[in-house]
Amino acid sequence: MSETGVIHDIGYQRYSGVRLGRLALQNSLFVHGLRAAFGLGRSAKAKIFPWLVFGIMLLTAVILAAIRSQTGQEFITYAGFADSMSFLIIFFVAIVAPQLVSRDLRAGTLPLYFSRPLRAADYVFAKFAAMAAAIWLLLGVPQFIMFLGAAFTTKKGAEGVFDELGGLVPAWGYSLLWALTFAGIGLLIASFTGKQAFAAGGIVAVFLMSTPIVGVLASLPSTTANGLAGLASPMTLIGGIGYWVSGGSNGFDLPIGRFGPIYAIEAVCLIAVTMLLLLARYRKVASL
Amino acid sequence: MSTVALITARGLFGRRRALLLLPLPLLLVGLAAICRAYGVSPDMWGTAVIVGLGTSVVLPVVALIVGTGVLGSEIDDGTIVHILTKPLPRRDIILAKYAVAASVTAVTTAVPLYLTGLLAGSAKLGAALAVAAVVGALAYSALFLLFSLVSRRPVLLGLVYILVWEGLLGNFVSGTKILSVGQYVATIADKMAPTTIIESSVGLTTALAMSAIFVVLGTIFAINRLGSFSLAGETS
Repeated sequence: MSETGVIHDIGYQRYSGVRLGRLALQNSLFVHGLRAAFGLGRSAKAKIFPWLVFGIMLLTAVILAAIRSQTGQEFITYAGFADSMSFLIIFFVAIVAPQLVSRDLRAGTLPLYFSRPLRAADYVFAKFAAMAAAIWLLLGVPQFIMFLGAAFTTKKGAEGVFDELGGLVPAWGYSLLWALTFAGIGLLIASFTGKQAFAAGGIVAVFLMSTPIVGVLASLPSTTANGLAGLASPMTLIGGIGYWVSGGSNGFDLPIGRFGPIYAIEAVCLIAVTMLLLLARYRKVASL
Repeated sequence: MSTVALITARGLFGRRRALLLLPLPLLLVGLAAICRAYGVSPDMWGTAVIVGLGTSVVLPVVALIVGTGVLGSEIDDGTIVHILTKPLPRRDIILAKYAVAASVTAVTTAVPLYLTGLLAGSAKLGAALAVAAVVGALAYSALFLLFSLVSRRPVLLGLVYILVWEGLLGNFVSGTKILSVGQYVATIADKMAPTTIIESSVGLTTALAMSAIFVVLGTIFAINRLGSFSLAGETS
């Protein structure tokens, strides 16, 4: 049943049954990527850093939920949780993206992958999906804990729970936006080097050095430049969209003025461009 | 010892790797030049560029890439064996590697910071920033060189230090400032050329003494670790 041009029989064991197709390959790459992101199925050393970040996030969420149930005040909103944890998200991306793509380059497994019916696009989509899912879980699970804390202590019964749900679901969408943007940029940078150390350093350098540019643009004597300042950094870009969509109650405190739609357009373009560049990167594959 | 230093420098600058170190300093000077060209008062952009980008991003990130690159990448590639099997004291290996890391970091950060200081104010501010960057480079390099012997993932450990210890905890818990190199750099620059741009939070004596402690203890621990270094396989 083997397709032409695909090496299935490498001489060890004969198999003449049905071969699983591209979808199954994508699916298993996705599952493997998501497990690798959290170090599952790997040694204890590989679990230290992802779970350190995840642990800090969970701890913060538990503390926030506890404060809220005691005082009844909401210090950080569901969407604001992602904004205030941006440093940890950057760190998580720097841990996970090299794990997902740089290891394959370093170990030279890509020629093996692509000798199967797997196309470069399938590989990129599977890795991107795994990375985005990992970041979304990193944000979504603590947000859900905050929701549980608020829902069980609400004094307004079912109505209060639905109020909280109305806050949680948009925040999950907001986290998804964070996940898609950061996954694209992180994977793109990591896919250029087989050395995990360089990839991690490069990712952090790109994210951190974009933030002061926003600060500089925001101090220029032009309201247009100030309004567009947030476009320079992925963090403020997403914050600006949150600000625009929520009508000024969420996101960073940015004077984005009437430029909200431009932020949304840039975010969509940024995600699309990183995907296209990743596809272009894997058109010709050699192990580094 | 000089051969080890030569090989290390070639490992850092060989092929096109040296280009990786260029964008960060160029961005720093470029931003300062743009602001200067627009005629914006340095009080407005000085903090964002000098502190936000210069001393808290460019300096630690360059030090991290270089400091873990001199030894960490050799351990990663397995080429460290070739140096360890030569009849050289481990002390000499560490000192040569440290000298290369510290001087490369110092040059790549002090020069752009001097130019930025010049654009933001005076030659005095530039000189103060350059001296502070050199001290910071010495302390960071010792720390990150040690990290590459303590862990097989030195970059991630270094990032924990930069992002979590100096970045996140530094804002909330003031006690961590006494153990963060970024604060020493800010203090030295501020005490040498007092401006409103840089805020210092520890004393000058503390900053200098703690930097020296970082350098000495970091190097001694690194020599000690390399003395009982065991080769292991690829991290899983």
